[in-house]
Amino acid sequence: MKKEKVELTAEQKARKKEKTRAAIYTHRGFYVMFLPVFIFALIFCYAPMVGVLLAFTDYNGIKAITPEIFVGLENFQKMFSMSGFWTAFWNTLELSVVKLVLTTGFAVIISVLLNEIVSIRFKKVVQTIIYLPHFMSWVVVASLFSLILAPTSNGLVNTFLVQIGVIDSSNMIYFLGSNKWWKPVYYMINLWKETGWQTVIFMATLSGLNTDMYEAAGIDGANRFQKMIYITFPSLTNTILTVIILNLARIMNLFESVFVLQNDAVLSTSNVLETYIYYQSFNSGSIPNYGYTAAVGLFKSIVGAVLVLSCNQLSKKVRDGRGIV
Amino acid sequence: MIKSISRRDFMKGMAVGGAALGSAGFLAACGSSSSTSSTSSSSSSDSTSSESTSTESSESSITKPDTIAVMVDGTVFTEENGRAEFWDKCEELTGIHYEVTQPDHDAYYDVVGQTIAGGDWPDVIILSSTYYTSYANEGVLWDMTEAYENSALKERIDAAGSSSAVEGMYINGSLYGMPVTRGNGCITYVKQAWLDNVGMDAPTNYDEYIDMLTAFSTDGKYGISAPGFIGADSPFVNYLPEFYQDAWPSFCQQDDGTWTDGFEEDSMKEALQRIADAYTAGIIDPTTLTNGTSDCRNKFYSDEFGVFTYWAGTWGRNLYNNLVNNGLDGDLVALEPIDEVPYYYDRIPVPWCITTKCSNPEGVFEYFISAMLDAGEVELLFTYGVEGVHWSTEAETLYEGTDSEVSYEEGEFHMLDNLETPGTQYTKAHIDPMLALVAIDDDPGAGTISEQARSSQDTFNANCKSVVIIPSTDEYSQYNGDLVTKKNELIANVAVGEITVDEAYEDYASEAQAWSQMIVESLNA
Amino acid sequence: MAKEKVDKRYVNKVHIHAFDVILVIFFIILSLILIIPMWKVLVDSFDLHTSYGMQLLPSQFGIEGYKQIFTNQTLYRPLLISFFTTITGTLLALTLSTLGGYVLIQYEMPGRNFCANYLLFTMIFNGGMIPTYLVLRAIGLTNTLLVVILFPALNVYNLVLMRNFFEGIPASLFEAAKLDGCTPMGTFIRIVLPLSKAALASIGLMYAVSYWNDYTHYKLYITNSNLYNFQMKLRGMVQGSDLPTVSGNLTENTIKNAAIVVAILPFMILYPFLQDYFVQGVNVGAVKE
Repeated sequence: MKKEKVELTAEQKARKKEKTRAAIYTHRGFYVMFLPVFIFALIFCYAPMVGVLLAFTDYNGIKAITPEIFVGLENFQKMFSMSGFWTAFWNTLELSVVKLVLTTGFAVIISVLLNEIVSIRFKKVVQTIIYLPHFMSWVVVASLFSLILAPTSNGLVNTFLVQIGVIDSSNMIYFLGSNKWWKPVYYMINLWKETGWQTVIFMATLSGLNTDMYEAAGIDGANRFQKMIYITFPSLTNTILTVIILNLARIMNLFESVFVLQNDAVLSTSNVLETYIYYQSFNSGSIPNYGYTAAVGLFKSIVGAVLVLSCNQLSKKVRDGRGIV
Repeated sequence: MIKSISRRDFMKGMAVGGAALGSAGFLAACGSSSSTSSTSSSSSSDSTSSESTSTESSESSITKPDTIAVMVDGTVFTEENGRAEFWDKCEELTGIHYEVTQPDHDAYYDVVGQTIAGGDWPDVIILSSTYYTSYANEGVLWDMTEAYENSALKERIDAAGSSSAVEGMYINGSLYGMPVTRGNGCITYVKQAWLDNVGMDAPTNYDEYIDMLTAFSTDGKYGISAPGFIGADSPFVNYLPEFYQDAWPSFCQQDDGTWTDGFEEDSMKEALQRIADAYTAGIIDPTTLTNGTSDCRNKFYSDEFGVFTYWAGTWGRNLYNNLVNNGLDGDLVALEPIDEVPYYYDRIPVPWCITTKCSNPEGVFEYFISAMLDAGEVELLFTYGVEGVHWSTEAETLYEGTDSEVSYEEGEFHMLDNLETPGTQYTKAHIDPMLALVAIDDDPGAGTISEQARSSQDTFNANCKSVVIIPSTDEYSQYNGDLVTKKNELIANVAVGEITVDEAYEDYASEAQAWSQMIVESLNA
Repeated sequence: MAKEKVDKRYVNKVHIHAFDVILVIFFIILSLILIIPMWKVLVDSFDLHTSYGMQLLPSQFGIEGYKQIFTNQTLYRPLLISFFTTITGTLLALTLSTLGGYVLIQYEMPGRNFCANYLLFTMIFNGGMIPTYLVLRAIGLTNTLLVVILFPALNVYNLVLMRNFFEGIPASLFEAAKLDGCTPMGTFIRIVLPLSKAALASIGLMYAVSYWNDYTHYKLYITNSNLYNFQMKLRGMVQGSDLPTVSGNLTENTIKNAAIVVAILPFMILYPFLQDYFVQGVNVGAVKE
């Protein structure tokens, strides 16, 4: 763009300006329509965003915000100097990415299969059931699964494994208390809770699908599997990409699901940034240091920004030059 | 405003000086130190006793405030539970109008943080120990040392023999908040029916204790359960005191005043070995690591284990009720500490504080805070609530739970139905009568306290010791979070047998020990 | 709906494949796996005994837990507040998402990319708890219901999903509307919205669920418990029975589980109505003709 500009003559410039002005005029209605969105973002997102400056202070919520509280990069130095921080950082990336890929992947498969159900009544019942776990709070989910996975006769999974002879009753597996098992179990529980809810958006996309395409494919002699693979699935790629990239923006915010499922014994495998910071603050026995919290928040945002921008570039290749936003 | 700024600057100086001095008024609980009163706090009361003669004359110069803005958590009656009637009654008794802010109990400290940052400070605020010490250091809280030490309230508290609870609240010789009750803590309950079943008596030492747990652990049941092997808050060891015994995982002050890290003592290593052995032997609930407190309670009610260390007092009654409701024998023995356990831990109480933006703090202290422990009508209100709303002396029949009904005669004091959940009755308002620093004169509600609650509380009170507050230093706030997290991780892994005690301490030495040493040095500086 | 409705794609193929049978079995097993953990909550909510382990049926059946929740006199106001905030909030949020999503598909519009980045930025960066509170307080929203309606109303994630649906509308329709002299707003109302029923239903459902389940905004920004919604109230009841201020708590566990079930109920009632929109969807072909 810039190169072109240099070569433009004054006349061309003027013409271009005129063109833009005309385009703005024809789109005037759209600017008005964007205004409410603009104002909401301005008030509720941008105004508080001044708060990112706190990342460079030692503000504790009491002292006035004066130049004296600015401490430069001290908060970041503290953050990066702790080995626990880096463990938590890599855990966050691993847990969020695997979780995102798994839940999205399963949601897509289930949506495609749901789409194949002939009986509408059965489909409705199944849909209702698979959405239900989303409505349980994480605290409740955690206590349910710590029961189901318990290494005692109360634990359904262990009892089942004993019965089919995989393990013997004196050697039950403490799924949530073992560093080896914690991550897979975490993914499973997330799948249980959120896959169904994720299908909402894919099912809506599929419902907009043109039925002509199926008919045409049917005439061409395509069987159901071919239709699923060549019609249903491709129609979802746009939504899949969007969902994945949008989720990358908040990938570092993983907290509640990990917090309720982790325990002291599996901290090295399960601690993510948010839980690490939580314990750091809670266990220190002092009030939250808002400056430090803001620094961690800023770091998370920057990681999110890098991920989103790089994936957006990738998606432009898939979507003829258009990013996800 | 000017006042608060000057105080703030003053407090900054205090914080630096205070760090050098170390703790002024707190008790240390390391090893076998047994005195329940520290030297510095008793000296602070000595130095002021000469002034406390002028109580009568100073009172007259204090004006009564018209209005007090109060911020309270869910431990005072909520809107649904007759908050309006409660504070109206309080206004009637004290002649002061109250503007009450009561955030959701869960988010209380988030809202407190926002309110303090926003600048609209209330006059009076309830604060937990973490917020109490931090806000005191930052100059948010009014120094009530003088007001308290010259007050009639101090005389009442001294006379009631509960001055140690107030002394525990001093920070570097100053008092910033007034507890109205003791902190309370956990005591070990043993199911009588289980003891009868195995033909044993309540244990008095560790060997007997282990024998009992072993005898209890048959047919998929186990001796004891706990929500985790180590607590998140101080006193960390309170759910498994018989295993920790005299070990303390955090910093503690020796008799000579120097600070050490209790985690590095041999007593801690031995405690960890005891827990690991017991866990391997199958007498501790295999899911201890992942239990929440409500999981533990539910398991206890459904008779999955026999020994539970939980809150003394009211909970003694609650545990009993729930067991009976489940068709079980509800009798519980509230254990005296076994020989190896020096005492149960009493938590730091939650004090009422006055902020430095309050225009008439002396008046608020005298006419509101002090009145809460007047041994008379105001304390009665804060203990049992409003007559006709929360309690009554009229003849009536109430239903407790689903089927048991209780009839009261005319003139018999009793608590009324919970406004929110009919079928259950209130037990107290804000002040627990069993924990109050000053008892109500001729307490009309004394008879309402159940035998189960009373006996566990009495046993606890006779065998408890206050928890230590550790003075904050820069190194402490910098490294203690990571240090505690590491310690907890090691404790949990030793307990479930993932690593041995020696391996844990090798891991500890590689990184965490350096943090610990920095903190110890700063505490001893 | 006496007659079984059948997806029109299969109207002409009445014969059932083996694949259909496998599909049904697969979904039955999947549903069972999903239901088993939740079964405990349901059973415990009807059980007057407190049990820790899993049971097939309550050991002492009783509806006391539900009775305590529904006989609670103070419950109607929170319920009304929940309905009010959910309906207004969902409508407002849908308005913002559809408007924003519609503007974002105007690739010819000067400043379109600015608008997109302006919104994307808000997804990634945020000011933190205290600054947010200070802003909300400064504009006078704290302690009013407006805060729980307005503050969560702009959700860029859903806005972008909405735009995704709009992109599926054939460009020819927009051109036709333009030729007919439709204003952008007119096109929006006459073409875009009617063609996006499935999108409106699904994203509307997401908004409704998040407004209905919201408690964080209430607990952080509202201290007047007269303005609490149903969720806050339920949480309060569960929490209240946890505090030892209440005596003889015979049904602590029962109430808690009943509250969990009650919180899901409105959704279960509402959902079947919405589902028709999902299944129906848009028939773009029909509009074209």
